[in-house]
Amino acid sequence: MTNYGLVIDQERCIGCHACAVTCKQENNVGLGQYWNRVLTEGGDKMDTPAGTYPENGEDGTLEMSYQPTACQHCDNAPCVKVCPVNATYTREDGIVEIDYDKCIGCRYCMAACPYNARVFNWDEPQTVPEDGTGDVPARPQGVVEKCTFCSHRVEEGLDPACVVNCPADARIFGDLDNEESTVSKYIRKYQTTRLLEDRGTDPKTYYIRGEMSPGRPQTSDKMESELDDVSVWSEPKDNGPVEESGGSGGGGSHGSLSNDALPHVPAFEGGDD
Amino acid sequence: MSDDGRGSTGGGGDGDGDGVFRRDVLKASGAAAVALGLGGGGYASSLAETATEPASRQNPGIESYVGQDEIIRTACAPNCRGKCPLEAHVRDGRVRKIEPQIPEDERYKRACTLGLSHTQRIYNATRLKYPMKRVGWEPGSPNPEGRGDAAEFERVTWDEALDYIAAEMERVRDDYGPESVYFETGSGNNGISGTIQSRLSSLFGGTQKSWSIDINVGLGFSRLAGAGFFNVPTNEVVDWRNANTVIVWGSDIFASNLQQDASKLLDAVENGAKLVCVDPVYTNTAAKADLWLPIKPGKDTLLTLSMIKTVLADETYDTEFLRKRTLGPALVRDDTGELLDASDVFDDVTEDLPVAVDESTGEPVALEPETYGEYALFGEYTVAGVDCHTALSLLEEHVSDYDPDAVAAEVGINADNIRTAVRWLATRGPGGIASGYGVDRYKYGHTFGQAYAILLGLTGDFGRHGSIQGSHPLGGSYDNGGYDAPEDGPGTTSLPQTDILTAIESGDPYQLKVMYSQESNFIANQMPDRQRWLEASKKLDLIAVADMHHTPSVQHADIILPASHWFEREDVVDTWGGHPHIMYRQPAHDPLWESKSDHWMLVRLAERLGFGDYFNRDKSATLRELLANDDEVDYETLKEQGTVKVSTPVVKFTGEFNTPSGRLELYDEDAPTEGGVTLELPKHIESRTADDWDTAEDYPLMFIQKHSKWRIHSQYEYQNWLREINNEPQLDINPKDAAARGIEDGDYVRVHNERGEMVVKAKLNDGMQPGLVNTDQGWWGSDYVRGHHNDLTHTDVCEVTGNFAFYDTRVEVEPAPSDVDTSKYTSDQPTGSGATSAGAGGD
Repeated sequence: MTNYGLVIDQERCIGCHACAVTCKQENNVGLGQYWNRVLTEGGDKMDTPAGTYPENGEDGTLEMSYQPTACQHCDNAPCVKVCPVNATYTREDGIVEIDYDKCIGCRYCMAACPYNARVFNWDEPQTVPEDGTGDVPARPQGVVEKCTFCSHRVEEGLDPACVVNCPADARIFGDLDNEESTVSKYIRKYQTTRLLEDRGTDPKTYYIRGEMSPGRPQTSDKMESELDDVSVWSEPKDNGPVEESGGSGGGGSHGSLSNDALPHVPAFEGGDD
Repeated sequence: MSDDGRGSTGGGGDGDGDGVFRRDVLKASGAAAVALGLGGGGYASSLAETATEPASRQNPGIESYVGQDEIIRTACAPNCRGKCPLEAHVRDGRVRKIEPQIPEDERYKRACTLGLSHTQRIYNATRLKYPMKRVGWEPGSPNPEGRGDAAEFERVTWDEALDYIAAEMERVRDDYGPESVYFETGSGNNGISGTIQSRLSSLFGGTQKSWSIDINVGLGFSRLAGAGFFNVPTNEVVDWRNANTVIVWGSDIFASNLQQDASKLLDAVENGAKLVCVDPVYTNTAAKADLWLPIKPGKDTLLTLSMIKTVLADETYDTEFLRKRTLGPALVRDDTGELLDASDVFDDVTEDLPVAVDESTGEPVALEPETYGEYALFGEYTVAGVDCHTALSLLEEHVSDYDPDAVAAEVGINADNIRTAVRWLATRGPGGIASGYGVDRYKYGHTFGQAYAILLGLTGDFGRHGSIQGSHPLGGSYDNGGYDAPEDGPGTTSLPQTDILTAIESGDPYQLKVMYSQESNFIANQMPDRQRWLEASKKLDLIAVADMHHTPSVQHADIILPASHWFEREDVVDTWGGHPHIMYRQPAHDPLWESKSDHWMLVRLAERLGFGDYFNRDKSATLRELLANDDEVDYETLKEQGTVKVSTPVVKFTGEFNTPSGRLELYDEDAPTEGGVTLELPKHIESRTADDWDTAEDYPLMFIQKHSKWRIHSQYEYQNWLREINNEPQLDINPKDAAARGIEDGDYVRVHNERGEMVVKAKLNDGMQPGLVNTDQGWWGSDYVRGHHNDLTHTDVCEVTGNFAFYDTRVEVEPAPSDVDTSKYTSDQPTGSGATSAGAGGD
């Protein structure tokens, strides 16, 4: 069975909000609403750190990172359980979706979702440009909406917009049930966490923290399963120099690839490393 | 001439060529069109006269159009490092969404938050729609006091607008000479408009500007290494993953250079590189760094000298590189401070060559470029009766007082951390310094360029894979055959921007009387000491401004020329500084309303000025003619592929340096003088950052204007998706500085100095260095509750480069006066405020 999930490498995430903005474009999300938010982990406000500024040569205590957050597409989704009219449901491919025709706007799902992933259309959604992409159904006033993993794209073999358009390659989408998929490999290889795991929601969005991954190769907007040759996805990158299309090596031994482009030499011995 | 361009152009996106897109995109209705004529009103308003019932609303259950849109290949090209190739998805004559285009080298498939939001820019209410004339302006009677916020405009035809401009250009040419006409091109777009304007200026004999922005560090570096202007050339960014140490210096690369560079720098880190960030602000980049050096403003050269001292003391310099490719072993005469000349030493040498001493023989030898020898790097020698020291010995002596322990307090960085950073650079193999534009904006920033060129010379980080000298790979450009400067004309006179100001203001070196501006929001928004520019501009008899949007500079115009959006024009875009492609823009639809491409306007202006034979109304033909001069790119291939990769070296600074000696000139015998100080070796010189600066007591805070991820200079201003996350200008201030002034988070504050003021909301930010405040640059005057960030900056520049020093600015901050009107942000807003409650602000 296909069971879609998302890996977000927070070591790569630079907090640029491209995922948030391209999500609004792709899904015609109304002004003031976000399906996909980039939260700052650190200070109280966007792009501010926690801690105090290092003065007089102190070592700093400042810390800041980014927490991109949308629907986690939980395997054990509380929103699905509480919906009194079965408007929120889990598809066979694992995507949690909303039938807007059924939604009665009771917002039980919003109360149940621990990730604050859902938004409610208190008013008629206002979008700019008004008619948007035309790729997704319009949502009327009085319904709840949220991230769909871009199911309309997935059905066409395309990765979600936030995945394709991440300038930092920090997002990887794929089939968690396929052990050979990049998401499965990354989850095995890298240290990942899920949000609020103690709630038992079993979310299908995994966050890499610690060692940075190579990210998603941005060579196509197709899903991995649609690619004929997935070797570029699943094999580790070689550590050799890139192909050179011009110029030549520099002076002395320092122009020589064999000397200079090897994997890293040990850090300075006896230093402060 | 009857060609006012009104109505359907029926052609090549711009009316510039044969029709390729004849769909009647917009049915402009007169009344609504006039009401929105200037694109005023709230930024949330949609295009009233263009609205058609969206299918998605008529039929909420529609099928998806995924995969069914027509894909138009185009390119984003404001003055960022990205120049990303984009795809516009078009259906029913409207651009529906933007995605990155996969260029010929697929590793450069990128688009950023801004590039992805272009649908909100094309169909933005601030788009200029019709040619306009300021009410009260008449030829020869400009009524300059009527310019600015209170100016009103009336609609004119294209014929009328261009006739006015041509007539004024001819009148002032007769009265003041052709050079009194100033043709300004900003950095707002990277298509061919600048080339076309330059051609017209050259034929007319007008004036154009050379840059006085962002050239400080590059020119300092270039003195030693023979390359550098806007920043410094470096290896193509896909090669950065071979770097083992990257010192990002004065650049928030993950916020302001993120488009093409972020992923490549992350790849380097993923591949094991140590990332060091030198910045007074704890930025996105600092947050990702292995080591952050929180430097005090203006101390960059001092820090670099301490790093040089460390490398020399540790003896971790690259002996082979120094001997083969630098002037390190060159002998410098004790008596004159000049290099010992080989012709004074050897009878058989007539060339102007430096001299070194061969350690194995003890004999002097002439130093050829790119030649290794067992040259003595250090020591004093008497050769041909002249007492000399090697350049490296002079450097060693020069930095002897700059041990990290000695400078730590002044630069604000722990000495051990200074050593760690430079030891990583010197001992971990290839790497380098990715300098940004931060240091450029201090008055004497050029000394930093000189200093770090020396540091990289010591560590041998030139001309090999993984070496980094800057953040400017100098990507794709093409040979246009000198189209911009035809031999027939009198030619353009070039003045630096500093002189443009005085030329307008006081006729020094000569009087400018007419300005034709395109792709530029300089005069009323982006220039330092903005009020001085606005006051000076009253001397101009005509200000004509072509732009897409109703910018502050447009509001300051006499004649307004509505320019088409990039996606409405056919164009060819080069990518200097970014990735190695030339890109093609296929128009997605006709220009909206009566907007036209700059090419369309300039060709018709040229015709009126009698230069019609030098231009072609058919833009496709013009593009074909331009590209015909280049060996690698031709029009047909480019049009078919969307992008063509051009060959630029991946690795820079290979072979001889472009210097008199052919070597990296660690010692600059022809050094310029700055404030009476000669700069054979780099010296720490400061301006307003000095603690004892004479206004330090009145204005104790340094004020910078960072480049944010929310705009490129002043572009992408009123786009909902961006504004609802980043709603209004703020002052980043350390909580300590705020508390000392009775300021709390979210308070409106007045930032002021001897030149002016601005009122903005305070954002308490622990990442700001105490003593330093920031407001992101690019906000328009209309965004401020009062004043403007460039009312605080100044035009005091250094002698050597004349580079504007935006960050070398002192201010004081106080609570805003109680009568300040903040209703534009505190009352109900059509957008922006809603996003805050949705938690989009990263709470």
